[in-house]
Amino acid sequence: MNPDEPTTPRDEPLEPRTIEGEVLYKETFRIVGNDFEHGGEAAARVKAILKQLGFPTDAIRRLSIANFEAEMNVIMYADEAEMEFAVLPDAVRVTFADRGPGIPDIEWAMQEGNSTATPEMRARGFGAGLGLPNIKRNSDEFSISSAVKVGTTIRYVVYANSGSGGAR
Amino acid sequence: MIDRAHAVATDPGKCIGCVACSQACPTKAIRVRNDLAVIDDELCIDCGTCIEACGYDAIRPMTSSPADLRRFKYTVAVPSLTLYAQFGDDVHPGRVLHGLRQLGFDETDDISWMCEMVASATDAFLSESKGPWPKISITCPAVVRLIQIRYPDLIPNLVPIETPRELAAKLRRRRLAAERGLDPSEIGMFFITPCTAIIHSIEAPEGLEASYLDGAFAITDVYGQLLKAIKHAPGSDSTEMISPRGLRWAMAGGEISSMRNANTITVRGLRDVVYVFDRIESGTFQGLDFIEAYICPGGCVGGQLTVAGRYLAQRNIRQLARRMGDQGAVKEEKVRSLLRDHFFDIESEIRARQVRPLARDLRRAIALKREKDALLERLPRKDCAACGAPDCETLADDIVRGNAKLTDCIFLRLEELEGKQTPQQGGDDA
Repeated sequence: MNPDEPTTPRDEPLEPRTIEGEVLYKETFRIVGNDFEHGGEAAARVKAILKQLGFPTDAIRRLSIANFEAEMNVIMYADEAEMEFAVLPDAVRVTFADRGPGIPDIEWAMQEGNSTATPEMRARGFGAGLGLPNIKRNSDEFSISSAVKVGTTIRYVVYANSGSGGAR
Repeated sequence: MIDRAHAVATDPGKCIGCVACSQACPTKAIRVRNDLAVIDDELCIDCGTCIEACGYDAIRPMTSSPADLRRFKYTVAVPSLTLYAQFGDDVHPGRVLHGLRQLGFDETDDISWMCEMVASATDAFLSESKGPWPKISITCPAVVRLIQIRYPDLIPNLVPIETPRELAAKLRRRRLAAERGLDPSEIGMFFITPCTAIIHSIEAPEGLEASYLDGAFAITDVYGQLLKAIKHAPGSDSTEMISPRGLRWAMAGGEISSMRNANTITVRGLRDVVYVFDRIESGTFQGLDFIEAYICPGGCVGGQLTVAGRYLAQRNIRQLARRMGDQGAVKEEKVRSLLRDHFFDIESEIRARQVRPLARDLRRAIALKREKDALLERLPRKDCAACGAPDCETLADDIVRGNAKLTDCIFLRLEELEGKQTPQQGGDDA
């Protein structure tokens, strides 16, 4: 059993070091707002690719949690987004750039429990206000920028071997 | 990695090299080479799907032989509950146990009461566990193998409670050794199995260093003789210890029906198991406490090595359980004291079995991935399996790993031939 569940808060990332690293492989996916039917598919495809490339299981697990949260955020809140998935020499970097309402108060949205989800979304098991904090917690580097009525861009990196997070 | 002795083997004398098994295999573990189905040890989960798919009886379970019985001073038959369901609803488990002894086993060991105990132990475990949710039963060994190779993220979800068959064998062996003054190694305990997955779990167990069972006979192997014994040497062994509630474990749904926690589901059959595990893994399947999952539709009564078939067997088990009072036979204090002694705990960690990446080196793996994608563009995407791989994607994968070549594809070979004969024309006039 793995005692290190992703519930333990991670330390704030140090200086971003790989966010601009050399890109060995890249793919982009288009995520469409409200498309619950295909929710999670981009995350699943990224996972399948990383398995083939032999990425460590724990890194894939953490990245997949973050990818799924980010993908569902787009489906629930935005009109559409481009998800870019880039393999770097020792890490994976994912960028979600969406066209959507934007986040007026990023600091507020980054706190656990804060959510603007509708009752319908909550009925589907979402909207616990854990999305963005969960992405940050499961990644080694994280950045976010947003413009109201324009959109939000988040970018995060998961190291292949980060040491923390219970690598198996 | 240990060399895996698998529970299924191809008979070269019977295999005609059709692709039925290769296409049916859920983990794409079979290739047809030179008209013979070859099973990849690393990918096989011993689910037995290939046995059912084969129309030529060419894939056989690796069961024990009567000679194996002679290796032991004292032998015990441990029947799967599914065995009770093979003879109609009027043949009581006591008669089946009696019949097994006529076949030459010194003793029998019913596991229904242990099923009920494990259900109680699972309830206790769930109430104390902190997740991750949902927890998944390890009763079906093919489910465990599937998780190890395809869903490594779900390993922490597995319930670390040993299966009833192993626990019952552990307890009986211990008791027999004490009561009869036998060395534990002189006792041979043989499971009467409905499926190949359990055979393999005895050969190469997960969660245990070594199985408490010594081998397995298929229900299909003993059925004929046992039927005769039941008819011609009637009699009944004591059924005092049989738990009617535990009997239901033979069917999908039986496990959760004997539990208190009701925030549970049963997942039946490989297709549904994959559907549900995909969703648990991606996070869209939340709010449940426990899942019992079976690779065979219908649960153990649907195993490949059974005679009655899952529908009649389900009816039989339900009737038997009802006739026997449909209640529990286990005392909760007993379960709690065994829990405190860690009697139910699995003994070793169940680990992920990473299926080989394209290459160890990341840059090399990426190069091969690109190559594979390019190959896939050229392949016809008919997934006809005539090349020996179950589908075009798997052929592309095999090619970049050096295990196949592009000309294995009959469509491409045809194109090549036609190209040579009438350039520019393609195959329009065929």
